[in-house]
Amino acid sequence: MELEAAAILGKLIGAGLAMIGAIGAGAGIGIVTSGAVQAMGRNPDATGTIQTNMILGIAFAEAVAIYCLVVALLILFVF
Amino acid sequence: MEKLGLNLGYILVQVFNFAILLIVLIKWVYQPILGLLDKRRATIAQGLEDARIAAEARDNAEQEAAKIKAAAQAEASKVVREATERAEVAVKDVRAAAEAEAAKIREEAKTDAEEERTRILGDLRGQVAALSIAAAQKLVGDALDEKRQHTLLDEFFSGVKSGKVVVLSGSDFKGASAEVVSALPLTSAEQDTVKTDILAKTGAQAVSFRVDPSILGGLVIKVGDKVLDGSVSGKLEGLRSNLR
Amino acid sequence: MTDTPKKRVWGRWALLAIIILSILTFFKPWGFGLGIGVIQPHVQLPAEPVPPITIMLGVVAALALVFSIVLKRVEGLFMAAWFVILAVLPLFFGFTWTNTLTAMVISDTVLLLIAFAIYNAFKSGSLVPKGISGAVEALLEVIYNLTEGTAGKWARFIFPWFATITLLVLVSNWSELIPGVDSIGVLEHAPAGVHGYAVQDLGFAETIVKAPAAAEGEHAEAEAESFVLVPYVRALATDLNFTVALALIAVVMVQVAGIRSQGTRYFTKFWNTGTMFSKPIFGVIDFVVGILEIVSEFSKILSFAFRLFGNIFAGAVLLFVIGSLVPVFAQAGFLMLEFFVGLIQAIVFGMLTMTFMAQATQGHGEHHEEAHA
Repeated sequence: MELEAAAILGKLIGAGLAMIGAIGAGAGIGIVTSGAVQAMGRNPDATGTIQTNMILGIAFAEAVAIYCLVVALLILFVF
Repeated sequence: MEKLGLNLGYILVQVFNFAILLIVLIKWVYQPILGLLDKRRATIAQGLEDARIAAEARDNAEQEAAKIKAAAQAEASKVVREATERAEVAVKDVRAAAEAEAAKIREEAKTDAEEERTRILGDLRGQVAALSIAAAQKLVGDALDEKRQHTLLDEFFSGVKSGKVVVLSGSDFKGASAEVVSALPLTSAEQDTVKTDILAKTGAQAVSFRVDPSILGGLVIKVGDKVLDGSVSGKLEGLRSNLR
Repeated sequence: MTDTPKKRVWGRWALLAIIILSILTFFKPWGFGLGIGVIQPHVQLPAEPVPPITIMLGVVAALALVFSIVLKRVEGLFMAAWFVILAVLPLFFGFTWTNTLTAMVISDTVLLLIAFAIYNAFKSGSLVPKGISGAVEALLEVIYNLTEGTAGKWARFIFPWFATITLLVLVSNWSELIPGVDSIGVLEHAPAGVHGYAVQDLGFAETIVKAPAAAEGEHAEAEAESFVLVPYVRALATDLNFTVALALIAVVMVQVAGIRSQGTRYFTKFWNTGTMFSKPIFGVIDFVVGILEIVSEFSKILSFAFRLFGNIFAGAVLLFVIGSLVPVFAQAGFLMLEFFVGLIQAIVFGMLTMTFMAQATQGHGEHHEEAHA
């Protein structure tokens, strides 16, 4: 019983630690969006192209956070 | 894999499902929509081509129009010039006619005014004479009888004494026409007298009468280029120069 | 939002009534109401097995058949045949039907209806489609213009994949927003090691509730009353099989696009020995980069699969958690969030596929920045 409780505790702590990686993705998405918005402000005609590339960049940055999330979910619900 | 729920059978089911959806969507959705897009693009391209042709046609038309406009302007300016000339001639004619008319009207008006003045002064003459006699009677008493006074006054105004024109006596000059100026209008009897006398003495063909109150009395007779001054003002002037 | 004021007032009262009803459902504020209480349902990653939906599959297959006959197109027959196969599979091959497969059939049906509406609209000759087909047409036009701007002459080849992935993911993501998805299902005994809940009979239906206080102390009895809810329908993208299948299709099609455009020259991207002997040091580096390209293709599969799965599964868990924390009204805001997440993930999945395919058609030189995706 003690062991089981320790395993659950370890799972929860591990899932929480896994989500630390989302910090980088958050900062990255912020940088991408800030750059894109500045570019759109300077050159509104290029908004379409910039938006497309911005969404792609956000998707790449977000992928890292998603990996973290998936690891956390795996820890919580699978193992 | 087990705990993730991954299973080759399910993956294959999903792949088949996707393939069949893809076929249905390509045939029922994408092909019609892409066809529509192509048609729309072709329409737009056709529209642009049409617009280009129309622009060319318009350019040609504009050049043509410019040519026509230039010709029309030349024609128009010619017509305008002719019209202006014609109008100037017409204006000149009209103005001349109008001036003649105006001169005639002015002349008539002048004559009318002259006659009117003559008539009024004629009316005045009797009253002036009566006033003068009344004033003279006050001054000199009843030295003269009234008939005598009238005769004197008539002589004073008309310069005619017992059927003869006073200024003409003792003078002899001839002329074709004569003008008689009196201070007040002469009566028709006096005019006849003056006329016959002048005609007899000067051999003039016509005599005209004029009224000029500034000569005060007597007559001024112009025969040809000579002037016989029998007026009261002339006499006064002579008196003044003598007294000086 | 441009409704008449009368309608808006009506909607406001309806909203208030729903809020009051939900309060009465979960609590007993004046000793009145159901007072179900709030629990956090069990979350399970693999799709749960549910009874097969043979009747529904039969209806949908008949629908596809009717569409096929009405439009005089053979493609509807494929669809009908596929539904029949799906219905037969559990009977003969011991194939376990899952709740995400039900969601898949629902998404298929919606897309089939849309396809029918659009084809019908174009067949009747109207150049300006109205209603839902007009909206889908506008979306597809945007997608096509995007594809053409990126891929140029390969747009015609890439567009169907981009559009189909986007539409399928969009419809399946939004099916999560239908009331009853994730919440209506069968009550089953909890599997070993899972904390279950007691069952309460509401008259018209049964629901899982917190076990009564007396039962909590005795472990054996609580175990006997342990039930979990297995929903009939679960969002399609919460099943890894679906996302992995889509990712495989996308990555395979990227290779197909590369081979179709460049022929065998495409493989020099992965096995680059061309410069190995002319420029010794850089040649080796190029070779290693080629090997890394192979790794990057596999990482693309993982990235595609787990991005979609992670977003949608996390969204579902988020809705569970919010629902158990604040049962009244708060979930509405998060449903709005899930609406946008579903849209964005659909567009991102499709657009990444399109971009990778377009880059594969362009050959060497431009495939460094996406290697880490």
